[in-house]
Parts: sequence; C-alpha cells; structure tokens
Amino acid sequence: MAEAAVIDTADLRKSYGDIEAVRGLTLHVPSGSIYGFLGRNGAGKTTTIKVLLGMTHPTAGDVHVFGLPANVSRSSVAIRRRTGFVSEDKDLYDFMTVGEMIRFTAPFFPTWRKDLEERYLRKFELRQTQTVKSLSRGMRTKLALLLALSRGAELLILDEPTSGLDPAMTEEVLQALVSHVASEQMTVFFSSHQIAEVEQIADHIAIIDRGRAVLAGTLDDLRERYRRVQIVFDGDAPEPAFRSPGVERIRRKGRVLTLLTSAGSDHVVNEARGLNPVSIDVMPVSLKDIFLETVVGED
Amino acid sequence: MLWYKSWLETRWRFFIGLGLLLLSAGGIVFVYPQVMKLLPRASELDTSGELGQRIREGVELSRDYRGYIWSQWMRQNLAQMATFFAIILGSGGPYAQRSELFTLSLPASRQEVVRVRALAGLSELLIIVFVSTLAIPLVSPSVGQSYSVLSAFVHALCAFVSSAAFFSLATLLSTSFSDIWRPLLIACAVAAVIWLAGQVVRDLAPYSIFTVMNGEKYFRSGQLPWVGLVVSAALSAAMLYAAGTNIERRDF
Repeated sequence: MAEAAVIDTADLRKSYGDIEAVRGLTLHVPSGSIYGFLGRNGAGKTTTIKVLLGMTHPTAGDVHVFGLPANVSRSSVAIRRRTGFVSEDKDLYDFMTVGEMIRFTAPFFPTWRKDLEERYLRKFELRQTQTVKSLSRGMRTKLALLLALSRGAELLILDEPTSGLDPAMTEEVLQALVSHVASEQMTVFFSSHQIAEVEQIADHIAIIDRGRAVLAGTLDDLRERYRRVQIVFDGDAPEPAFRSPGVERIRRKGRVLTLLTSAGSDHVVNEARGLNPVSIDVMPVSLKDIFLETVVGED
Repeated sequence: MLWYKSWLETRWRFFIGLGLLLLSAGGIVFVYPQVMKLLPRASELDTSGELGQRIREGVELSRDYRGYIWSQWMRQNLAQMATFFAIILGSGGPYAQRSELFTLSLPASRQEVVRVRALAGLSELLIIVFVSTLAIPLVSPSVGQSYSVLSAFVHALCAFVSSAAFFSLATLLSTSFSDIWRPLLIACAVAAVIWLAGQVVRDLAPYSIFTVMNGEKYFRSGQLPWVGLVVSAALSAAMLYAAGTNIERRDF
C-alpha cells in the first residue's frame, strides 16, 4: 500500500509568459518524511513551493496538500493553517519588533505552541524588543524558523532555509530543525541546492531540473540502487552498447569505460565480463555524484 | 491580527498626517486676527487678471470668519493634505516587497488581507480628517470667533468621502506594484492633473472631485453635494473591489 501523501502533484506546470518554470512535475511526499527538494538555482524549486502554498497559480496539472486542492483559495487557507513556512529571503515585517512579530503571528494558528515559542526564544537568543530590521541574516533566519516551528504545524515547508548563512549558523539551524522534527510528528519539505545539508537531514529526496523531477525516492534506496562501474580494457575501450536495465550514463575515456547505474550493478557486471576487460570495479555513489550525473550530466 | 499589522505598518503615516493637519488647522485659526488687520490694506493691491480675481475672491471670503475658514482650510489646506495623506495611507499595501511571502503564508485569504488593510487605512483617514476639521470649532473661541460644529462635520464628511477615492486609487495601484513609490507617484500625478484641470478650465471646476471635497455647494447654498458624494463613494467601492480581484489573480 502506498504511503499517505502530504503533498501530491501530478503533471504540475507553471509558465510565466514564454518561460516554463515548472514542466510537468510529479511529486509524492509521504507523511512524516523529511523530504529534500534538490535542484540547481532556477530549477523551479521556489515556484513549486509557491504553488503549494497558493502564492502562485499553476498553469496546469493537479496539486494537493493534505488532500486539499492548493489552487483553490478556500482550501489554500486551510492548508496554510496547518503549514509552517520559511521563505528563502526570510520575509518578515521590518517595521515590527521580534515580540510584535510573535504576537501578530500566533493568533492565526489555533495550534500555536507557547512552549515552543519560549524554548526557541531562549535557544536562539532572540530579544523581543529588537526590531526585525536590525537583525542579522542569521538571527532573521532564526526568527523565521521560530515563527514556523511554533505554529504547531503538521507540515513545514522551507525554501533554501540556510541560504546566505555561514557554516556555523547553517549547522545550528539544521540541528535545531532535526531536533524539532525528532520530537514532533510532522512532515518537512525543504528545497536546497546544498547537497551536503540534504544528505545530512533528509530521508527522501527529489531532484528537480528544468521544472521536472528527474529522480525521486528514499535516500537509502537511492544509495543502494546507484552504483558506479568502472571497466578497464587492454586497449581502447569499445563503443558502449549496454543492454542492462538502469544504465543512466556511460563515459568512455581511453581504456576506461565508466557507467552509472540506477538498478544495482549485477546485470552490468555480467554484461561487462563478456567484453573481456582487464578489471571491473564497482563503487558506491554519493548523493553529490547522483546529483551531478542526473542534473549537470544532462547539459 | 491583520488589524494589528495594518496599524503598525501605517501608524507613523497616521500620526504625521494627524499632527500636520492639526497644526495646519490651528495655524489657520490663530492667524485670523492678523488677517483681519491686513484686510483693509488689501484694496491697495493691484488685482487685475485671473490671479487678481482669485486674490479678490479670497479677500472677500475672508471678511467673515466662516468664509475665511472655508477658503483657507476646506478649499486649500484640507483638500490638499487630505488627498496627499489618503494616497500615502493607501500606498504600499499589504503585499509590499520583502514581506509579501510571509503575509501570503498566513491562513488568511488575499481578499481578507486587502479588506482589512483598506478598512484600517480608511479609519485612519477618517480620524485625520474629522479630528483636524472638528478642532476648528474647538479652538475658534480662542481668537474670539465661533464656527459651527455641524458645518465642520459636513465639510469633514465631504473631505473624507472624496479623499477616500484617492485612497482607493492608491490601494488599487498597490495591488499591481510591489513597491510603495509607484502607486504613490501615480496617484499623486492623477490628483495633480484633476486639480490643475479644475484650475485651468474653469468650466470643469463644478465637476471636479476637489469641489466635492471642499463642500463648496454646502458652503454657498447649505446643500450637500449628494451626487458628488455618491459618485466618489461608488468610485472608491469599485476601485477597492478591483483591488481585491486584482490581488486574487496575482502571482507572487
């Protein structure tokens, strides 16, 4: 039986004039997952998030969050009542103080958690009297996170949550996120182009490129399925013609043929033996390699 | 809580507007004794041509306190300042740059956000116009004059309803532009063109929104400019409706 999906999109499209930002995106974000939405700058991550939250109207396709259509105004309000959100630019009201931001936001959410608000005020060392305008980028991120986490939300949507932060601050924010998710029952959907941070906290990922999901699944499954096979020959490597399933990329350089396979390595190794190579090496693949092969490799 | 945000967002514009209009209203009342002293010398001025006609009219109106208040406050300062602060209060809007995604992430419909912001701005405009205008009957006795509270109320009503049209225009423009400056400048330009048209083409003046705003009909004949008020209110309602529809369609 398929896992219950918190976010479900089917053939989602969004165009701005002639530019297609999202081109037939299909996503299935299981309940309780930490879902990394990975892609290069301009891949369509932010547009997708905006569609999920009703900030942008889709051009075509289906988009449901909590089973509710995200492109219908009334249900979009219901979705946002159950969702915490941190935007890439950490949009907040500069004219308010930290305390005013909290007092303003809390009443919108019946599930607002005063205990979490107090905990994160202490943990993030935010002063209630400080104006938002005067906060550093890092402190602004922390306030945005406090406002998202204290909502008591079932779904947390984060758009490049650590963008513009130094490594120490990035680590602090990610740790806060991980410990929060560990203690609360919720789904996290976060976009990033930082592979390391996705690898650090996500259990599911989707890689988006030019508005399309080019790869999706659990991180463990991807690590299990993806392998790099390096085949070395006596002379020049032969023209590659592999029939084995799951061969994603083949590179030929001198005596070496390198394959990326997404269906394990057994079939490829068996087929490669028939070519009389000098050696066959099977290597595990990192998420960075998978990303580079599926996204950059398409250029 | 959207009220709270709207208030925090516009409070300084409101306080500055209220302060300036109160100062202006008080100033007009307190200089009246000096104006009275200068009036006899007004006949010595060379008052030929269009400008001269305006000066003569102003002098004639100032011979009695009611006329003076109307010409200086209702027709000039109140009309100009109420228009300007109506535009300032309407500009920017609830989806201004650098904060729009946070507002959009809240469980409130766009229509609701625009509606609350418009009502908050209109309430502030109402207070600015009524408090400053009703201050005139209050301080007039200090210069030995009196001014009818009813007249002040009626003129404030005319000023509020008409200036609300400029507020609504700025609100509508703010749903198309994400910065504060373009709605402000465009609405100011529209107001300036309408005002200049009424000044240059005198035949247009009776139909100008500024004539409704200064309550000239009420001043001269004691009758309310019902048609002008209804048209202004309808225009405001239409522009606010369009603002709601516009924001609903917009992609952020």
